[in-house]
Amino acid sequence: MAMMGILAFSHATPSVEFSAPPGSFQAVDKASSEFAKAIAAVREAEAAGADENQLSALVERLNTVVWMIDRAESLLLQGDVQGAAAQAERGIEASREIVSQAAKLRDEASLRTYYGKVLTFGMVPVASLLVTVGAHHGWKWWRRREVGRMMRMEIKAVKEPQEEA
Amino acid sequence: MAKLSEDMKRALTIFISATIVFSTLAYVAVTPRPKEQFFQIYVLGETKKAERYYPNNNPNIAVGQVVKWYVGATNFMGSVQYVLIRVKLGNSTIKAPDDTYHAPSPGPMLSEFKRILMNNETWEFLFTWVIREISANGEGIRPTVFEINGVRIQNSDVRASKGHNFRVFFELWTLDPQSGSLVFGWRTAAERRVAWLQVWFNATSPAAR
Repeated sequence: MAMMGILAFSHATPSVEFSAPPGSFQAVDKASSEFAKAIAAVREAEAAGADENQLSALVERLNTVVWMIDRAESLLLQGDVQGAAAQAERGIEASREIVSQAAKLRDEASLRTYYGKVLTFGMVPVASLLVTVGAHHGWKWWRRREVGRMMRMEIKAVKEPQEEA
Repeated sequence: MAKLSEDMKRALTIFISATIVFSTLAYVAVTPRPKEQFFQIYVLGETKKAERYYPNNNPNIAVGQVVKWYVGATNFMGSVQYVLIRVKLGNSTIKAPDDTYHAPSPGPMLSEFKRILMNNETWEFLFTWVIREISANGEGIRPTVFEINGVRIQNSDVRASKGHNFRVFFELWTLDPQSGSLVFGWRTAAERRVAWLQVWFNATSPAAR
């Protein structure tokens, strides 16, 4: 019967999966909303260019929160209000930890990305200068070589065919 | 204004040209290239291949007969995604999900599976189902109780004449970051897309097989 309740609700309002089933209590709703914040925070960290291994650890924790919220909802439907509240509280706590870790990760990644960009664009004038100096000296060397070659040239007399005859 | 020497003019020209070229290269290096964003969803038979979807390759599923499928989804969206696979029951008259209007099937939901997926991550799970109870009357056969991955689920209203042409829909839902709600399919910058699958079967009582 409890399962039917879940099914009926999910089917009727598919767009509010983050809210707990009707008759639920605040902790599960709160856990769902904290979970949504945690996902958003992890996405921000990812967009800032966070390290994949660290992101993976956060995603694993998010999956644990998914399980906790599911468990809280299922306990609630079974009538175990205290168990559901405890489970939801654990979910809220875990979500908040994820948010704070993700924010830290995002800040680190943003800084790293920023310095990376500064370094990349900072290298542009340096590389251009190196190319210019190289091209300038290359040009001078080539010119000296050409002038030298010219100066070493000898004038040779070409015998006319009539003279040979 | 002092005239620039030939050497200076040449050096200046090279410097400006090199700056333009290197700036373009730097911009390309720091700008992520846009990729196509999509999900992939699949259902495999008990051998983890696109075959043997039914026990003994017989689509007539009897009460108590265990059917094993592997359901999977891969995230190619370029970011972490909250994915939900909804399993629904249908028959030949219940509408399938609509690709054009992005509407999910109106069939009753049997079960749902959720997971957060990283970019390029594939999530695969075993989907075992059994028809536990069946009821038959003049209007047709109705599997009344399913067991999916060990959980009993009631089917209130889907029936089929002679138990033929039932189908299981697998719909992919995702969390839309803009609205903060779950949507059927997914939204990219340019468009909205959906992904779903269906597997047909016939429900039979043990005696009818």
